[in-house]
Amino acid sequence: MTTAAISIRDVRMDYPTPDGVKHVLGGISYDVTEGHYVSIVGPSGVGKTTLLRLLTGLAQPTAGEIIVAGKRLSGAPEGLAVVLQDYTRSLMPWLTVERNIALPLRNEKISKANVRQRVKESLTEVGLEGSERAYPWQLSGGMQQRVSIARALAVRPRILVMDEPFASVDAQTRFDLEDLVLKVRADFGITTLMVTHDIDEATYLSDDVVVLYGKPATVSDIVSIDLAFPRSQVETRNDHRFAQMRTRIYEKVRGLS
Amino acid sequence: MPGVNRRIPAGLVSAVVVLLIWQVVGSVGPLAGDSFATASEAIVALIGLFADSQFWVAVFETLQMAVIGFALSMVIAVPLGLLIGLSRFTYRSTKFTFDFFKVIPPIVLIPIAILVIGPSIAMGIALAVFANVFAVAIQTAYGIRDTDPTLLETMRCYRMNAFQQIRYARLPSAAAQIAVATRLAATASLIVAVVAGLVGGAPGLGRLAALYQSAGTADRTYAVVLTLGILGLVTSRLIVRLQRRAVFWSGR
Ligand SMILES: Nc1ncnc2c1ncn2[C@@H]1O[C@H](COP(=O)(O)OP(=O)(O)OP(=O)(O)O)[C@@H](O)[C@H]1O
Ligand SMILES: [Mg+2]
Repeated sequence: MTTAAISIRDVRMDYPTPDGVKHVLGGISYDVTEGHYVSIVGPSGVGKTTLLRLLTGLAQPTAGEIIVAGKRLSGAPEGLAVVLQDYTRSLMPWLTVERNIALPLRNEKISKANVRQRVKESLTEVGLEGSERAYPWQLSGGMQQRVSIARALAVRPRILVMDEPFASVDAQTRFDLEDLVLKVRADFGITTLMVTHDIDEATYLSDDVVVLYGKPATVSDIVSIDLAFPRSQVETRNDHRFAQMRTRIYEKVRGLS
Repeated sequence: MPGVNRRIPAGLVSAVVVLLIWQVVGSVGPLAGDSFATASEAIVALIGLFADSQFWVAVFETLQMAVIGFALSMVIAVPLGLLIGLSRFTYRSTKFTFDFFKVIPPIVLIPIAILVIGPSIAMGIALAVFANVFAVAIQTAYGIRDTDPTLLETMRCYRMNAFQQIRYARLPSAAAQIAVATRLAATASLIVAVVAGLVGGAPGLGRLAALYQSAGTADRTYAVVLTLGILGLVTSRLIVRLQRRAVFWSGR
């Protein structure tokens, strides 16, 4: 039996603005299956980042609730890791790569040697072995984003939340990073929620693609991507079912159907 | 001509040009005369002063006021700024007052300082502290407040507590601002220490320059001015070096 790792129940979110209340999320309900990779897509400004902020406990919904591990969410859930779009602003320039990755491990009771070991493993996982002593600003954009991913992996997360994680890197790096998260998915089975603007990317990576649409936003479609794993950039993307699914998502995002 | 640039520092070229202009203006034209010393006269006078113990005492006194004043400013202002910066309320409510005091030139306090403290080393130190404390505190507080929210939110997602956020994000972020404030405070301390002597009768190079001036020895007055220029240059160079090491990431 599959269980819900995260249960989003009729979540609404309003923002106060100078000209009245802005209803951004208008009753979102969705259960994230344990170990699934879920992408959230939708037009710009629809409320994707807002939803992620609620899921990470950075903000509280106006109404409704989010249940993680049987408990109503208030603050960041245990076992959460995040990767944000803006890697230059989410790594600390005054800390080396190693210390950046080790920072969230301070809250875990593990020995220094174990911390070092975990950092090393995570860096190897993202293909950056030996970069411990570098500073983030000495690395390329794609490498910095890998460090963010390594930091996320080092906490051995149960839930991984990513907001447009690959939006600011070049196309080649993007493909590499996509395949990296697919590998992570296969190795660790982390429940992952990712916001992306790239419908192909969402289709390629996900078990489920959730489409948000409207003002206020509601779930306009949930597309199950039943393409086999492991996936490959060439074969999966050339599968005719891939094309069908991405077309369906595209039309939903554009509000065409 | 990259080869030439490597051997002759650009700064030296402009220094030589300025000295030459000074020499010419002091020798011919309306400024020529006893009350205006030429560059060569000032340099000769300066070399003469090197043998004068009174000069070295004055250098020491000025540095004493500047260094102690600077150190006291930092010791008071940095912790104060950190405290102010920790809450948005204290920052907002303090900023206005501090900005007000910040722009008061310390020179206008000299009459009061002479009355209260008297023309002494202590007066120079007090004025240097006044000159810096508000600016450094506000700059420090700004650094704390200005910490990248993305960084803080990332830390919150990783369940790092308020103390950890201060220790690993807010303080390093403030350090970059403190470094900038340090450089300004160091040169300001030197200037104030000299002005305290020049206008307020506090000991040191300022008073010495005033003495030489009233004695009609323009060349010696200018020699003191040259000394101050050199001291200021060395100070700011030194601080910039320390700064590059201490906040090596800033500007990246
Ligand atoms: N703190 C806030 N206060 C007021 N309005 C906000 C706030 N944050 C977001 N909004 C508004 O809520 C709406 C949704 O914003 P959100 O950032 O969630 O959109 P998004 O789907 O992530 O957009 P994008 O794809 O461009 O990143 C937008 O109209 C935005 O202006
Ligand atoms: Mg967004």
